[in-house]
Amino acid sequence: MSEPLLSVKNLTIDYIGDETDFRAVDNVSFDVAPGEVFGLAGESGCGKSTIAFAISRLHRPPALIRTGSEILLDGRDVLDLDQKELAAFRWREVAMVFQSAMNSLNPVLRVEAQFYDVLKTHLGMTKVQARERTAEMLRLVDINPDRMRDYPHQFSGGMRQRIVIAICLALGPKLVVMDEPTTALDVVVQREILQRINELRRKLGFSVLFITHDLGLMVQFCDRIGIMLGGKLVEQNTAQAIYRTPQHDYTKKLWASFPSLHGGVLA
Amino acid sequence: MKTLLRNRKALVGLAIIATIAILAIAAPLLTEYNPAARTGRPHQAPSMDHILGTTRIGQDVFARVLYGARTSLMVGFGAGLLITLVGTVLGIVAGYRGGKTDEVISFFTNMVLVVPNLPLLLVLAAFIGQASPVVIALILGATSWAWGARVTRAETLSVKQKDFVKSAEMMGERQWRIMAFEIFPNVISIVGINFIGSVIFAIITQATLEFLGLGDPRAISWGNMLFAAQKASALSVGAWWEILTPCFALAFLGIGMSLLNFAVDEIANPRLRTGNRLGRWSLLVRNGEGRL
Amino acid sequence: MAFLFRRLAFYLAAFLAAATINFFLPRLMPGDPIQLMFSSAGAELPPESLEALKLTFGFVDGPLWKQYLTYLGSIFTGDLGRSIKYFPLPVTSVLGHALIWTLVLMGTATVISFILGTWLGVMAAWKRGSRFDVIVSVTSIFATSVPAVVTSLIVLFVFGFTLDWFPNGYAADPSLDPAFTLQYIASVAYHGVLPMVTLCTVLIGGFTVTMRNNMINLLGEDYIVMARAKGLSDRRVMLWYAARNALLPTVSSLAIAIGTILGGSLVTEVVFNYPGLGNVLYQAILARDYPVIQGQLLIMTATMLVANFIVDVSYVLLDPRLKAA
Repeated sequence: MSEPLLSVKNLTIDYIGDETDFRAVDNVSFDVAPGEVFGLAGESGCGKSTIAFAISRLHRPPALIRTGSEILLDGRDVLDLDQKELAAFRWREVAMVFQSAMNSLNPVLRVEAQFYDVLKTHLGMTKVQARERTAEMLRLVDINPDRMRDYPHQFSGGMRQRIVIAICLALGPKLVVMDEPTTALDVVVQREILQRINELRRKLGFSVLFITHDLGLMVQFCDRIGIMLGGKLVEQNTAQAIYRTPQHDYTKKLWASFPSLHGGVLA
Repeated sequence: MKTLLRNRKALVGLAIIATIAILAIAAPLLTEYNPAARTGRPHQAPSMDHILGTTRIGQDVFARVLYGARTSLMVGFGAGLLITLVGTVLGIVAGYRGGKTDEVISFFTNMVLVVPNLPLLLVLAAFIGQASPVVIALILGATSWAWGARVTRAETLSVKQKDFVKSAEMMGERQWRIMAFEIFPNVISIVGINFIGSVIFAIITQATLEFLGLGDPRAISWGNMLFAAQKASALSVGAWWEILTPCFALAFLGIGMSLLNFAVDEIANPRLRTGNRLGRWSLLVRNGEGRL
Repeated sequence: MAFLFRRLAFYLAAFLAAATINFFLPRLMPGDPIQLMFSSAGAELPPESLEALKLTFGFVDGPLWKQYLTYLGSIFTGDLGRSIKYFPLPVTSVLGHALIWTLVLMGTATVISFILGTWLGVMAAWKRGSRFDVIVSVTSIFATSVPAVVTSLIVLFVFGFTLDWFPNGYAADPSLDPAFTLQYIASVAYHGVLPMVTLCTVLIGGFTVTMRNNMINLLGEDYIVMARAKGLSDRRVMLWYAARNALLPTVSSLAIAIGTILGGSLVTEVVFNYPGLGNVLYQAILARDYPVIQGQLLIMTATMLVANFIVDVSYVLLDPRLKAA
């Protein structure tokens, strides 16, 4: 494997409680290579979203990333960035697609404005330049650029998620973190979105950290997969290996809960 | 209840209310004066004889504030109960029954919400004449239920969709039983917030109505003390004790009730809680054990 | 647009309800309603004036519905009868004059405390758990839980009587003639300070708490997290993503709060002897001047409805989802 793009080392995250703490992520390490799709699977509450948040440093108190954890992106420790560096780092290097397609866009701002604030903050674009870029990005995800002056509620769930993806790619990030990007969507739309992401990834060359509880979906989409249980990474291997020869009991159990998908086609 | 007792705001609030209640109950033990009787010279400053001074007609302020607490608490809790009862019943019925019933109840609820409450109470009280504390509690109950009905209805609408309600319906349970035994226990936190809010509202409004001269002046209550003091121009003649005593009593009770209100709010809505963990969090960060 | 028309129809119904209460209340009381309503005038009222008053309030021969229509007729032609205490002044002019003072006082206080309270709420929610948040939250709790009567009296006692920084009553120096002169306006401002401070103290806590809670409930929303992930500045996320959206429920709670604001304003005026509606009303209550007491309900209701309508309109302007509907 070449030099990794993202390298998470000994990541430990606690949620501080009134008396005792809850360890959400327990000494997790994994790498994501450039252009690779890495999947994190596990049931809800296993800590996979907590990891996603940590990569862009989005946590708020009472979450606490324990000393000794490292999150290296291109060799630079994200946890050491100061506020200014962090602002520049976010979205430019790591962009994120969040769980619910319905709620990721601000309901009271026009779509255009939600592109513009990214383009202005990071690239200092004027409104006219931003509009051009927005049109280009919307075309990329097959949304009519004429609709950039609409509000989010005027789009369907699938379209909203495509808009979010377009915003994600607007700065050409190296890594896109996708936290259950399709859970709120129906199966057909789900497929369509994932295919779209795959095409764009081939074209633009970014890496993806893909998080879901749906192992079947993940095997079709990812190069390598890590399985999480209770904050720990219990197994990581290529998608093929996870599918054909799962090692950990928990992985086998997860597969047992998807009987219908087991005969599914692999990409 | 246990969570309530672990909340610091709730504890302080309860302690304040309990103190006032104990003082009110123990009033005859704490003062020898009859609160209605003339027991000294007019407008005497606080002294050993009258620890909070006397009113313009020579009543003992300390005795009046102690006995007045009884009225405030009784009207507050009585009217609060009434307001909550009406609001909860209407809210649950409207939310659960839906359809025409809901339309009618919601229409009246919204109507009552846009007719300003105090002016309405003023008209009612003015026609009733000198309203005794009991009458004030009754008209508060009759006019102030709308907010509670609205929030209870909203909560009922979401509880109604839950499986246990559906299964009760499938089993052919009667509507009133579903409302009383399936819905009600599940909207109880809203009912609790409504109750505490209503008690605060009732205490404030009773004092206000009496202060404006709509109460029965013979009743011994904090609102009437303010009314009498205002009429006697107590501040202008320097008899501050006559005005400040009921003021502080009301403020104290109000703060106690509000602390309880906020505590219940926090418990019902965990996102609002801050608690101890943020303190522990900052300590850990300062000690270099972690960061964000 | 359809939304606003529906609201207008509803407000008309609400106003009608207030009028109906006015109509039936004296008739439901034990005894003779005419006697009840006008007895406080004693023998001073000239007989022809009494007849006119009876007509205005629907005390005409005939069935109840005819009386009711007569009463509604007078209301909708703007005839609220004559004040008994200030006879022969019509109720509308007694209340109308006072209403201006009330609106000035209440309006200014509402705007100031809404802006300030909302801002404090935004900051407290943003710095949640910080010392700033704790101080703001606790102070708000105290400020909202103390009745307006009590706050007014304490402010009057401290700043009016004890420190003697500000006048203890009236809206302006009584020796000045009301006019648009600098001197008069300065006097009005000077006299307005204490009632204004009181009202703001009473109101601000409520706005702060509402905004803080709305903000905190929003901060977990995906679009807020996404805005932060986008690398936007804290300020931009706080104002354009969190506060902008938290403002919506705050504005709608403002509509309900207007009733409370009116109530607080009435009481404050009584304490500060301010010539607004509250004071006129206080005098009317002491004199059992029923036409004025009834008239205030209608005028207050109308004020409340207008304010509600303004809130509705601004809600539509703030929330694009409503514009489409």
